Amino acid sequence: MEQNATAIIAEHWAIGVFIVAVIALCAFMIGVSSLLGGRSQGRSKSLPFESGIVGAGSARQRFSVKFYMVAMLFVIFDIEAVFLFAWSVSVKEVGWAGFWGAAIFIFILLAGLVYDSRVGALEWAPKSRNPARKSGS
Amino acid sequence: MLTSAHMMALTPVILVCATAVTVMLGIAWRRQHAATALVSILGLNLALVSLYLVYSAGDVSTPLLVFDRLSMLGMVLVLASTLACLTMSHAYLEGYPGRKEEFYLLMLCAAAGGMVLVASQHLATLFFGLELLSMPLYGMLAYTYRDKRSLESGIKYLVLSAAATAFLLFGMALLYSQSGRLDIAGLLAGLESSGGGAWALAGAGLMLVGLGFKLSIVPFHLWTPDVYQGGPGPAATFLATASKAAVFIVLLRIVMVAPAFHVEWLHTVLGGLALLTMIVGNLLALIQTNLKRLLGYSSIAHFGYLLVALVVADGLAVETAGIYLITYLMTTLGAFGVVTLLSSPYSGEDASALHHYRGLFWRRPYLAAVLTVCLLSLAGIPFTAGFIGKFYIVALGVEAGRWWLVGGIIAGSVIGLYYYLRVMVTLYLVEPGMRGRDAPDNWGMKAGGVVVLGLALLVIAFGVYPTPVIDWMSVLTSPVH
Repeated sequence: MEQNATAIIAEHWAIGVFIVAVIALCAFMIGVSSLLGGRSQGRSKSLPFESGIVGAGSARQRFSVKFYMVAMLFVIFDIEAVFLFAWSVSVKEVGWAGFWGAAIFIFILLAGLVYDSRVGALEWAPKSRNPARKSGS
Repeated sequence: MLTSAHMMALTPVILVCATAVTVMLGIAWRRQHAATALVSILGLNLALVSLYLVYSAGDVSTPLLVFDRLSMLGMVLVLASTLACLTMSHAYLEGYPGRKEEFYLLMLCAAAGGMVLVASQHLATLFFGLELLSMPLYGMLAYTYRDKRSLESGIKYLVLSAAATAFLLFGMALLYSQSGRLDIAGLLAGLESSGGGAWALAGAGLMLVGLGFKLSIVPFHLWTPDVYQGGPGPAATFLATASKAAVFIVLLRIVMVAPAFHVEWLHTVLGGLALLTMIVGNLLALIQTNLKRLLGYSSIAHFGYLLVALVVADGLAVETAGIYLITYLMTTLGAFGVVTLLSSPYSGEDASALHHYRGLFWRRPYLAAVLTVCLLSLAGIPFTAGFIGKFYIVALGVEAGRWWLVGGIIAGSVIGLYYYLRVMVTLYLVEPGMRGRDAPDNWGMKAGGVVVLGLALLVIAFGVYPTPVIDWMSVLTSPVH
């Protein structure tokens, strides 16, 4: 039993040190900056910072759909790049068949990218509203 | 390793995917509604032709996909229903003010998903096919998003379908934890050798929930009427035909392939679900005043009948399921096609309330005749395709001595007859000066009209002379040794 405990400690002491170090580092950063840092007052200064979005208020907010569009496109292309990593570590083993497979994969991605740019999914600023709105698209 | 035989067998799926990419690039290049529809239809037809070549080349099996006769049948059903839906969506989208072309892109992707699904023999392809089939459907259902009901149906399907997918995935994970295998045959064999146990039971149950949702089996049917009612005509048609047929075929494959599924409790559960589905679907259809909702409930009931084939699961079960699926698809495509044609070209919410159909016969006699034939076939009246399907199902039930199910089918058919006849009476009532939505005058000349008329003729032809289809089906579904 005792030996067991020693073995566990020997195996996991690094994690314990890590946890203590994390807490100590956080405490240090907050403590030192509260001691040394300047203070400013303002209407929104006491609100929590959440990636630029106001954390409290009505749930019926209007967001620009562009944020989600870009986030989605990023995720899609990012994940597909991950598939290419799998190819890159096995280029020699899979040979030409793998090459053509990857080429077709990249071509489909490229077709998707061309489509996205042509339908305006990548444009950040909305086009001038009048012609698009009038035709109802 | 991929061989040329594998590539050959994959040709139909590859063709559909290539068509989707072509359509996408075409949209990026220039927006042309008619050309997009033409390319899509051409690609699907090519895939159908290549399917014949694949069929004559014989069975091919890869670790993930299997191209046997059952998957050929499934692919034919998916491709043919997609073709009919595409043709109807051309007429439907003519009047849609927004972007029309993406609808074809979504439908082609969904068709590719359906084809992968029917050929899957591995949980990975099963999940992949199911998601590829469902994801585009969210977009298709919410396609006319300025119409609140369409948006509602899209979001409803998205949320509920995601929940069902979570059930399916959890079930798969449990089964994997019990058997250590992901290919369906190996997984079920593993379960059998390990004796199943509570976790395997839970896994199978959860997977049944996931697939039952897509087929709208009764405890999981709540989404069906709302989604059918709100979605644009062609999307609802696709959901009711191609999507359901593909999911049913994969369920059929799992149940037929696996000896582990031939245990009494599972048959009892499936039998109970079937009975419940028939009765509840038909009873709820009685109180509908909207044709699309009514067709939705009737499709629930029809899948209750179809489940009988899974409950019996031997003898002629596969052939019966195939014949019933064919008759169901022909009839449902026809009925939804008429609804879509009456709502084409798009101008707001679909004309699906029953009062739109009041006196339809006096305005559009042929269209009313088509709808009448389809409703008669759904009710299972002799000399229509529906009768042949129902005959097979009843024969199968009697043969296996499942008297409760046979009783359920008979009771369901009687209830069904009442509400189908109610719609038919509406069609022939003299119009009291009120004009509902109407199809354009030259509907019969357009491709969508031709498809609907052809479907009605097929329904009658198959009802009168079913031998060719029955022969074809017995060839397609006979096991190869």
